[in-house]
Amino acid sequence: MGSKSIKFILNGKDVSVKTLLHRRLLDVIREDFGLTGTKEGCGIGECGACTVLLNGKAVNACLVLAGQIEGAEIMTVEHLAKDGQLNKLQQRFLEKGAVQCGFCTPGMLMSATALLMHKPSPTREEIQDDIAGNLCRCTGYKQIIEAIYETAYGRKKNSSE
Amino acid sequence: MMPTLDFIRPTSTTEVLDVLDRHGQEAAILAGGTDLIPGLRQKAARFSGVKMLVDISAIEELRQIRYSDNGMSIGTAVTFSEILGNDLLSEYYPLLVKAAVNLGSVQIRNRATIGGNFINNAPCADSVPPLLVYEASVIIQSKRGEKTVPLSDFLSSPYQTRLEPDELVLHTLLPPVSEGFNGEFYKLGRRRGVAISRITLAVLLRNNSGKVGDIRLAAGAVTPVGIRFTDLENDFRGRDIIPRELKQMSRELGKRILQETGLRWSTAYKLPVTQQIFYQILSSLANSGG
Repeated sequence: MGSKSIKFILNGKDVSVKTLLHRRLLDVIREDFGLTGTKEGCGIGECGACTVLLNGKAVNACLVLAGQIEGAEIMTVEHLAKDGQLNKLQQRFLEKGAVQCGFCTPGMLMSATALLMHKPSPTREEIQDDIAGNLCRCTGYKQIIEAIYETAYGRKKNSSE
Repeated sequence: MMPTLDFIRPTSTTEVLDVLDRHGQEAAILAGGTDLIPGLRQKAARFSGVKMLVDISAIEELRQIRYSDNGMSIGTAVTFSEILGNDLLSEYYPLLVKAAVNLGSVQIRNRATIGGNFINNAPCADSVPPLLVYEASVIIQSKRGEKTVPLSDFLSSPYQTRLEPDELVLHTLLPPVSEGFNGEFYKLGRRRGVAISRITLAVLLRNNSGKVGDIRLAAGAVTPVGIRFTDLENDFRGRDIIPRELKQMSRELGKRILQETGLRWSTAYKLPVTQQIFYQILSSLANSGG
């Protein structure tokens, strides 16, 4: 037992941290690295508020343990904005009213980021399926789906069908 | 709070078997963690003896999907996302892939493993009914040797299997499916996405000129563990594929499930739904040629 040192890539940088290996990735990110964009909602993998990318795939950070991320690449919501400038997806979220209380937003952004990385031109149906693991109790999802859709296709193609 | 646990991450199965040989009673195998981690944090009784986690997610040989003359072998630590993305599985074992589509969310499918799904053996484990109709067997290893057990024998009771503390499931073998079967997997949850299954059915049917040539039938969630109804299958073979007979078969399935579970508060709802769904599946499979 006792703490061990683990090395991984966090938001593009090589990092190492001394931790108990059975701690959750969620706690490592928030407590050890102070990256509190990643939220804890349900803690049992149902709400998606803690969604981060693990080797490019969306996962619930509450269901991954520190010992499992040795050598892995982790991306959190803090990596989306560059030099204080929100990325296109984040801007669309604001424009479309996809952010209300904001608690689901980091997880929602990370699920959308994973989707657009693997499938740059998703259908609305695919967007719905891919954010099914992210609960939002404010928006009713429509604005979120529109924001992701417009990020994929640009503003020119009007999305109100 | 997570209880304090030892954590190891072996890189080979030999290493895992050594650890299980010495610490099997207090060790839990960890792969995707989607059942184990919440279970530990919620202090579920079935994990109360766990003092050590053995993470097998870094062991390459347990993460392979392989094709051979004996069928397809799926490593125990293969995730449902990987199953969804496998063309051979889609072609030869479509019911398993269909079960994977609606299992949890993207985040869950990216972590949850096939081995974890049936070893945890929740009554509602979505992969179990398809694996049962495909006659899956489980390849198990320990320092005492290797053995192959049919999945139907492996699943003993809810959240219990015949896996011994020193044993590791290496992979699941799906034998080749004979020609002429049409199949369907059905899942009913309380909502469309990210739902715990209330009813699952997997059916393979071979229509032999208007008669039931062969049939395989398994259910989950409406029974204490996923179960294949070989007795019903025997009764159903040779029957005419006409609405009256199909309705009769659905009633018999309902009776059989009641035998298995006894009356429950949900019976009034689940039983007629299961019967109706089974009838619809049979009707559509009978009409889809083959």
